[in-house]
Amino acid sequence: MNQEQLNNKLSEIKDKLTATEQPMANRICLTCEAENSHAINKFLFEDVPLRFVIATGIDSDNWFEVLYHYSYDQTGCMVTLKAIIRDRENPAIESIAPFLPAAEWVEREIHDILGIDFKNHPDMRRLILSDDWPEGVYPLRKDAKMPAKRPDGEPSNRPPVKSPACRTIQLSKPVLAVGPFHPLQEEMEFFQLTVDGEIVTDIDMRISYNHRGIEKISESLQFDQVPFLVSRICGICSASHPLAYVQAVEDLAGVTPPDRALYVRTIINELERIHSHILWAGLAGHFIGYDTVFMWAWKYREPVLDLLEEITGNRNNYGNVKVGGCREDIPDELKPKIVGEMDKIEKKMDMLVKAVTDDPVLHARLKGVGVLSKEDAIKFAVTGPTARASGVAIDVRRDEPYAAYADLDWDVISRPEGDVFAKMVVRLLEVIESAKIIKQAVGKLPAGPVAVEVKEIPPGEVVGRVEAPRGETFHYVRSDGGNRPVRHKVRAPSFVNVPSFKASCIGEHIADVTITLAAVDPCYSCTERLAVVDQNNSVLHDYEALLRLSRERTTQIKKELGVSGLKIGDLQIG
Amino acid sequence: MSWKIWSLKKSPWVFHVNTGACNNCDIEIVDLLTPKFDVERFGIKLVGSPRHADALLVTGGVTAQAAPRLREVYRQTPKPCVVFCIGACACDKGIFTTGYHMVGPVDKIIKEIDPNAIIAYVPGCPPKPEAMISGIVKALSAL
Repeated sequence: MNQEQLNNKLSEIKDKLTATEQPMANRICLTCEAENSHAINKFLFEDVPLRFVIATGIDSDNWFEVLYHYSYDQTGCMVTLKAIIRDRENPAIESIAPFLPAAEWVEREIHDILGIDFKNHPDMRRLILSDDWPEGVYPLRKDAKMPAKRPDGEPSNRPPVKSPACRTIQLSKPVLAVGPFHPLQEEMEFFQLTVDGEIVTDIDMRISYNHRGIEKISESLQFDQVPFLVSRICGICSASHPLAYVQAVEDLAGVTPPDRALYVRTIINELERIHSHILWAGLAGHFIGYDTVFMWAWKYREPVLDLLEEITGNRNNYGNVKVGGCREDIPDELKPKIVGEMDKIEKKMDMLVKAVTDDPVLHARLKGVGVLSKEDAIKFAVTGPTARASGVAIDVRRDEPYAAYADLDWDVISRPEGDVFAKMVVRLLEVIESAKIIKQAVGKLPAGPVAVEVKEIPPGEVVGRVEAPRGETFHYVRSDGGNRPVRHKVRAPSFVNVPSFKASCIGEHIADVTITLAAVDPCYSCTERLAVVDQNNSVLHDYEALLRLSRERTTQIKKELGVSGLKIGDLQIG
Repeated sequence: MSWKIWSLKKSPWVFHVNTGACNNCDIEIVDLLTPKFDVERFGIKLVGSPRHADALLVTGGVTAQAAPRLREVYRQTPKPCVVFCIGACACDKGIFTTGYHMVGPVDKIIKEIDPNAIIAYVPGCPPKPEAMISGIVKALSAL
């Protein structure tokens, strides 16, 4: 289906809409009243079909808006449905989560921050705000009165919360509590796994530990300051977030950055992908008891960080991209070094891929574990390597090319299996593709300046997206012609990838949960605690016990197969 | 010097607490363990429980949801212990100062329950691994 057919298809619902706009060739904005949004969303998701990206809640002065963003990946077109809620006193709209599980979290989030009620939502508990946040204070409303003194006192004098965010543990079923500090996740998250013996039968999640209110802070910063804020959303995606934001604002201002800037952005983003994927591979090795892989992978990552430091001045948080181009250029004398390092990375990854794919223990340990089927991948709207390992071959770099990706020759890696092994292979092969991209980009690096001047940001609303290491990063920016965004919505890839645990963890062994949770690469943080609650004697197992379980399983498989697994000798290379 | 302080300074075991960091400081802390920096050669070891730790490496500017957990982790750590505020956010909430969900910084939260806590600061966004090692060495030699 091409763009014209998409437009025709969308005209089928014309009578339910109040306006249709096409501000750019591949941006369509539909407007409707709140009553019609459920039917139109169902049409967009099931009949067209489009991929759900995220929803944005906005407090416009006289009404509330809920924006549903969809992507049509065949042509790279973004379709936005704007539902207008005119009742400011009791804002409500029909939930789309019953047929679209990917919207479950974001509707809870919008409820938290704007107080919009989603009717028929399956699970309307608090998601993003802390347990002790007072009821009825909605931070993203323009007239929000923040609590003067935060109620973060000792547990005894905390106000009671009407809707506790976590289910109370039912003692009839054993529940495994994971987190809130957990070594597998960048955002602190809290999981409750209901277990039947060794098998996980249900999973519940609680986030908020890492909620810093970035969208609100962004409204108080100038357009040029925001990239520094959004690069600190996630340290590992600190090149992707600002790039997505900057591309959105450039669309709004009608600015095209110079060619050299596009190539510099490509190189930095691919270096980031390499270091992120290698980081993941190392930690994945750690969780299944292959510490050798951990150490060697992180050793391989260091030269990439050194390159980034030479280009941008920092190992992470590069702060290099700005509206209109880049802040720092890649000096020409650095080119041979970049190419040389990429050659080495390719060799190292070739060897790592061989070592991994030839290893019978890894096959036995990871194949068929934590499977996310293609149907579930679409329902949960996952992105990035998580989607590509489940046979959903989407990649923003190809579907809606930005920076210099359209000029370069590379492949989208995808696998049909959907298990942890497939996710590992996808990531390892993507590192090789990234090295290929960087070498080409360095070879073709055009001469000229790296930035143009940007004077005015006109009023309007735009979206920008970038393929971050973990998947599609999406930014929505609305401007009223002033020097600050009036609304800035961010959707990091993990926000849609993480809820897919509901599909991939249920039915797994507890020993496999660590690696299944880690397999979507939900941004790693570091060692804290896991606790297992047992119904009878309240035995508490900590994180180390779980890691031990995971490792024992590897050892057991090794014994059964009669092999010793990877040796350091296999991994050594120049 | 009491024997407690004397023993604290040798081979400090550290526990990592993320209280709402962007993950940058966190990956740099993990980086310390890997071959390039390899702090285990100094006896510095990342442990899985605060009860085993001599020092807490705290990152992030402390979100409202994380504050009670940070207090609990500090309570569980055997005293004397050193609290390292790693990164700009842990030192003074950094770029997130105006966030409605931030209740930190770390020293404020810790001092609420222990006014005599030993707190050391390693600023930077993120601090380089070398800076973290240097911060740990400086703090321990000042005890």
